[in-house]
Amino acid sequence: MTQPFELNTTISNLRDLHASDLSLYDAIYLGNITCRLYEANLLEHLGDLRDAIATVKAHGLKAYVTSYAAPRNDFLPKLAKAMAVAVEAGADAVEVHNLGVLKIVHEAHPGLPIHVGGFANVYTDAGAEVLKQFGAVRITPNYELSLEEIGQIHRQVGLPMELLVHGKMPLGISDHCFLLEYEEAWGMKCPDLCQQDLFLKQGDWAMKSVGKGVLSGKDVCMLEHLPRLVGEGNTRFRIETVSESPEYRLEVGRVYREALERAFAGTDGVEERWWTTLRRHARIGLCNGFYFGRSGMEYLGVRPDAVASALRRPVAETTDYQAQGAIR
Amino acid sequence: MARFFSRAARPILLAPAGSPDAAKVALQAGADTIYVGLKGWSRGGAKGELTSEELLDTLAAAHAQGRKLQVALNTIPRRSERRYLVGRVEELIGLGIDGVIVNDAGLMAELHTRYPELRITASIGCAAMNEADVAFYRDLGADAVVLPGTLSADELYAAAQVPEVLIEVMIHMVEEFIVLGKCWMPSYYRLNPTPLAELHGEGNRLIGSMKRGGAGVCFKVCEHPWVLSLNGQDVAQRLLPSRQISSINALSDILDAGVDVVKLQGRSLSPDLLAPIVGRYRRAIDAWEGGGPVPALQELPLEPSWTVSRR
Repeated sequence: MTQPFELNTTISNLRDLHASDLSLYDAIYLGNITCRLYEANLLEHLGDLRDAIATVKAHGLKAYVTSYAAPRNDFLPKLAKAMAVAVEAGADAVEVHNLGVLKIVHEAHPGLPIHVGGFANVYTDAGAEVLKQFGAVRITPNYELSLEEIGQIHRQVGLPMELLVHGKMPLGISDHCFLLEYEEAWGMKCPDLCQQDLFLKQGDWAMKSVGKGVLSGKDVCMLEHLPRLVGEGNTRFRIETVSESPEYRLEVGRVYREALERAFAGTDGVEERWWTTLRRHARIGLCNGFYFGRSGMEYLGVRPDAVASALRRPVAETTDYQAQGAIR
Repeated sequence: MARFFSRAARPILLAPAGSPDAAKVALQAGADTIYVGLKGWSRGGAKGELTSEELLDTLAAAHAQGRKLQVALNTIPRRSERRYLVGRVEELIGLGIDGVIVNDAGLMAELHTRYPELRITASIGCAAMNEADVAFYRDLGADAVVLPGTLSADELYAAAQVPEVLIEVMIHMVEEFIVLGKCWMPSYYRLNPTPLAELHGEGNRLIGSMKRGGAGVCFKVCEHPWVLSLNGQDVAQRLLPSRQISSINALSDILDAGVDVVKLQGRSLSPDLLAPIVGRYRRAIDAWEGGGPVPALQELPLEPSWTVSRR
């Protein structure tokens, strides 16, 4: 019997792949989208990429190869080679965040399934329709979209939407890594810098830094909303673990595997032990992203304690930047 | 309306105009083309947008001087808003505008299909950064693609080799930490749906979302001090890196690379700030066209915080 849903995640390098228990997942995105210098980034180490694809497929999972979020010109030749390796090694799809790369991949490998990533800025059905003509078979809509908007795109375009259901949500991508400024002070060098536990804090809220990438400080958590997601026809779900430990990947994956199976069986209920696990792994707290048309760091649901923050103050007491004149 | 650019015969100086007064000084200072925001529909928000009446007057003033005017429609409209906006574009074409600047692949494709003679520019918000991006947007119907002033002359040369599309470079701009068009940090903090009056309650601007545009837009959270926490310890207080790019002294290399349009950022610049910037680039382009050396011009030593606070 075909499983009604897919749960996937992201792994940047071979070391992390071998250290991770993949059994909770149906598919793995391989590679790091933020930086060419990320430790042993599979997109730059093509022998490793072949091994990684083989490893994932040997586990009976689908292997997807991702690509850079904001590539400059000099990225393109190597990226084209990585995509060719993906095809040769039997990857099931590639993920693109950059529309120039979409064009390159579609022209070089016309039959290759392409997943459009969250940095591709798909905000509308019209945008999705255009990308469908370039070979897109699945779309992660921009993270700013609400479930209502995502549903509209799905209905209009007919492509499956991939939803981030848990983990730190990408908020931006830079062309620079400011962490390089700290090599001397911290006594460590690239590529170790961005693998530290780094947060940018401003008063009562925070974002996670991964060098060129900025992620939400809070973990997006849709655990108690899975029945709605399922009811609205969503079947592709992602746990973003690119900056997380193998333990996070395993334990959070286990929670969502159980919860999704329950949701697809039409059984209600969220286990307390699931919350315990998710809270333990969420350093800054939990949020719902933009799925309910609110700011990305808010949490709506029956578990108000889910927003408990390492920064000590609940969302309701957040700093009023407008009153302070910070909003122009 | 005929497309007015093939490959540009000479470099075009494209200046911002966030008000009728700014348009006036930009034209006086030598802009070949100005770009304005249509109220409610431009990236950057209400500050720096023109009403329909102001747009009409400004267009007449530009055309009277033999110059061009482009309209920035570079927010991403929702499905219901898109129908309205496409209708507005038809009105704008009727008024005689010289092109639109858009930010969404879907809207771009639709406008190109409906109005094949309309000149379309892929906005800086499209985040094009490489030659493949340029080719992608050309395929959708863009006549020009805006690239950031952070690209090297070699990168610009490669982009300029893409046929049948003009290369615009935002040579004078603030480079923020996050790539333009790839940031939703502000809306992570706050997102306020606000009815858009033009749509009679049927559409919203999402204040906090740079991509959605509209009044208020970006909270500039990146420009305030952050505490950097390393493995649980606060180790630094810092700003995210940003800088003012004013590559006037690299203009020869940029134009030699084949760039068609020299674009200046800043629809919210006041006329007193805008005029000298436009004039400086006018003189530099004229010197390059004259075959002589581009004069070494001393740029104002603008700290990003200074510029940002006034734009």
